Amino acid sequence: MATVFRFPDVGEGIHEGRVVEWLVRVGDQVRRDQALVKVETDKAVVELPSPEPGPIGRLHAETGQTIHVGDPLVTIGDAGEQPSGEPAPTDGRPEAKAIPPDRAAGHTPAPHRVLRAPATPHTRVLARRLGVDIEAVQGTGPGGRITDDDVQAAHSAAAAPAPQPVALPRLEPSPRPPSALEERVPMTHLRKVIAQAMQTSSQTAAAVTHVDEADVTELYAWYKELKPQVEQSGVRFTILPFFLKAATVALKTHPLLNASIDEERGEIVYKRFYHIGIAVDTPEGLIVPVIREADTKSVVAIAGEINDVAARARERKLNLDEIRGGTFTITNMGPLGGVFATPIIHQPEVAILGMHAIKDRPVVVDGEIVIRKMMYLSVTFDHRIIDGAEAGRFMNDMVALVSNPKLLMARI
Amino acid sequence: MVVGTLSRACDVAVLGGGPGGYAAAIRLGQSGKDVVLIEERATLGGVCLNEGCIPNKALGHAADLVADTKAAGPMGLSFGTPSVDMVRLVKWKDGVVQRLTKGVQFLAEKANVEVVHGHAVFAGPRVLRVETGAGMGEITFKHAVIATGSSPVELPGLPFDGKRIIGPREALSPGELHGRVAVIGGGYIGLGLASTYAKLGSKVSVVESTASLLWYLDPEVGDTLKRRMEKLGVSFMLSNRAEAFDDGTGFLTVVDASGNRSQAPADVIIVAAGRQANTGGIGLDAAGVATDARGFITVNERLETSAAGVHAIGDVTGGPLLAHKAYREAKVVAGVIMGEPMALDNVVIPGIVFTDPEVAWVGMSEKDARDAGMDVLTGTFPLRASGGALALNAPEGFVKTVADAATKRILGVFAVGRGVTELISKAGLAIEMGALLDDVTAVMEPHPTMSEALLESAEAALGTAIHVVQG
Ligand SMILES: Cc1cc2nc3c(=O)[nH]c(=O)nc-3n(C[C@H](O)[C@H](O)[C@H](O)COP(=O)(O)OP(=O)(O)OC[C@H]3O[C@@H](n4cnc5c(N)ncnc54)[C@H](O)[C@@H]3O)c2cc1C
Repeated sequence: MATVFRFPDVGEGIHEGRVVEWLVRVGDQVRRDQALVKVETDKAVVELPSPEPGPIGRLHAETGQTIHVGDPLVTIGDAGEQPSGEPAPTDGRPEAKAIPPDRAAGHTPAPHRVLRAPATPHTRVLARRLGVDIEAVQGTGPGGRITDDDVQAAHSAAAAPAPQPVALPRLEPSPRPPSALEERVPMTHLRKVIAQAMQTSSQTAAAVTHVDEADVTELYAWYKELKPQVEQSGVRFTILPFFLKAATVALKTHPLLNASIDEERGEIVYKRFYHIGIAVDTPEGLIVPVIREADTKSVVAIAGEINDVAARARERKLNLDEIRGGTFTITNMGPLGGVFATPIIHQPEVAILGMHAIKDRPVVVDGEIVIRKMMYLSVTFDHRIIDGAEAGRFMNDMVALVSNPKLLMARI
Repeated sequence: MVVGTLSRACDVAVLGGGPGGYAAAIRLGQSGKDVVLIEERATLGGVCLNEGCIPNKALGHAADLVADTKAAGPMGLSFGTPSVDMVRLVKWKDGVVQRLTKGVQFLAEKANVEVVHGHAVFAGPRVLRVETGAGMGEITFKHAVIATGSSPVELPGLPFDGKRIIGPREALSPGELHGRVAVIGGGYIGLGLASTYAKLGSKVSVVESTASLLWYLDPEVGDTLKRRMEKLGVSFMLSNRAEAFDDGTGFLTVVDASGNRSQAPADVIIVAAGRQANTGGIGLDAAGVATDARGFITVNERLETSAAGVHAIGDVTGGPLLAHKAYREAKVVAGVIMGEPMALDNVVIPGIVFTDPEVAWVGMSEKDARDAGMDVLTGTFPLRASGGALALNAPEGFVKTVADAATKRILGVFAVGRGVTELISKAGLAIEMGALLDDVTAVMEPHPTMSEALLESAEAALGTAIHVVQG
């Protein structure tokens, strides 16, 4: 019996992806769990493993094509066999929404819906909830009926080969002839995702930026002193982990900046956990891996984790779970120079901290001009729920913490 | 909504207050969404409550009483010649309709649905313009549900005049009992009306362009129905198309397949020759909603149209134009809008015809299944062998069950007979549950009832029926 493997629900919120590369060809004999295809979704490229062994009968999507969750990807089984439960062919247009067969005009729709995989309405609902394609489940009940247990088993099986490896996408060559005056390059999926996220953010949040400066001479000295020791363990040490730590301390005192808005219900959702996103610049675009429960980790542990995720972000080998679920973001623009910038809030968070270049500047201390390590800090916040005064208080706290590492130590 | 001045923003705007629209609005209102329901007629309930299912069933029931009393002679009962006071009958029917439409209005209010009586037109992807008696208003929405339903198709040679050339609506509110009635269209609406009128005492003829009735079902269905309706005095002009009606002479011209014309006298012509989607002039282009070639809105299993955030349900999406389809789709669309992983997963949509005898079916016919290349088992149980049917003086009809020979899974059930529109719901449940023949035959059916016929037909498919001779 041939089976149709459909683009599965690979994780929360992902509806579509783009076929980056087929790893098999029609006629290939595949093993269970052998990688079939690379699909670019959200911010990761996912390799989809084969749900069962058998010959590849048909590839339903072409390289570069956008596919939606539930669309057929590949038929496993003899090419000549009638695939089980395959809906009316979509004449190669996967974007065209599948219309239920008995919607078709006339009285000879094929195949009849009665011929769908047998299951009770209750079991069908369960399959929908678990994101299991019931047509692909083998029923163990009487007459091949699919039971709740069958659906649960299919769900657990699909969940097992979890962490999806990530690989570099290829830029599709432009279909248009190159012109002398302009060049058209299709936006990568990642670029589209970023574009969408940025647009949504700027349309959703009432964003305001507050900037202050901090004297980080002392913190900088600590950092310089620790650096050689920490780096003996092979971890590249920067000053960023201190800021991450300081941010979790300040957020605990100012929980509104670690919240989100449930517009639907008109509620503010305070997060009692501190998953801090770190903006990472990669050749394909911005990726924001999340350091989970940063408040519970040491500065050195955070340094190690940042090293790891930043490297994998650049290779696009992050798991989807590692780029989701942040509660607050920090973007370090110091290395890029400039005085300060106004970062955009990472939805659905409500605030983002910008770190800017640390520079030697003359400042007046106790009536004398001295040279200190100075830096600008900016916080862009969503004025819908955070008033300027609260953002200011958060910033004062941040400045105090990074200007005085002893205070930071005391409050960790 | 403040008409003429302000615009009203809401979570969900529902266009049309028929079975699809009002059910979706109530379910969404119950779930806490801010819902505006826009209906252009004065009452809720759409075609179904106001001028379709309910009036049809009410008049049909009255007609059954007349026919039953006429047929009660052999039981030793006589009532004299029944007389029909059409004005009072229609008034009674209107009372039933009013109770229901008021009930729906009440339920909508209790679910915090704001009902706006007016005509809605999309002005953009997220905005509707609503014209009410009091002026213009604007409604912006996050989601819209199009449930504007369908209306009867007008035939070229037979334009509706509301008096002698009428549609189902007028046919269900007649001012008097018409003498000679020609029904154009042998679909479920036309046949139901023909049955009702014939039993109330009209001389009815049915003009139908195909060669047999309900040809897309099991052929036995149409044959049985035709025999019984002819007994009721209905004459059939099959393979004929109605061409024109001469108001002066009172003659209807029909043309057969070879182009021969003939004429039939008629006082009233009821045109029930198909229905069209109410999708014209409601700004679908502005909303970006695509339709098929026949004007029905194209939707997927989650009832999403080509425009994000815009859904469509009920008759306007095509397929079988039936209220229970609209009701189910209403609940699915409400779930989808609430963010639940729902879809229209039903495998059968029961078909029903309120004729005498009734016709009902679910799933695949024997022919469907054979065309799909399957090996099938079939079992037919004639109602003349049913104690329940004979005791009701209703021996016409049968129940036929179709199953997959390999798995014994039930694929379809086709029934003709009194009350089979109730019996079919059990067959629908069986198929939705993926039932095998055994699942039906191993259940006790209350005796004596029509439902026993379903059990017997399933047994016949297995070759084990008690009450028919097994060959
Ligand atoms: C004579 C007859 C008998 C029938 N018998 C049965 C039966 O026994 N069983 C069965 O299941 N079905 C039956 N039907 C079919 C049933 O009536 C329909 O399937 C059902 O009404 C469809 O519901 P709906 O909500 O999709 O649309 P409708 O009931 O058509 O409701 C649509 C509503 O939208 C309103 N509307 C349209 N456009 C606009 C607009 N732009 N702005 C505001 N309002 C608008 C209309 O006024 C209407 O009230 C019968 C139909 C007829 C005609």
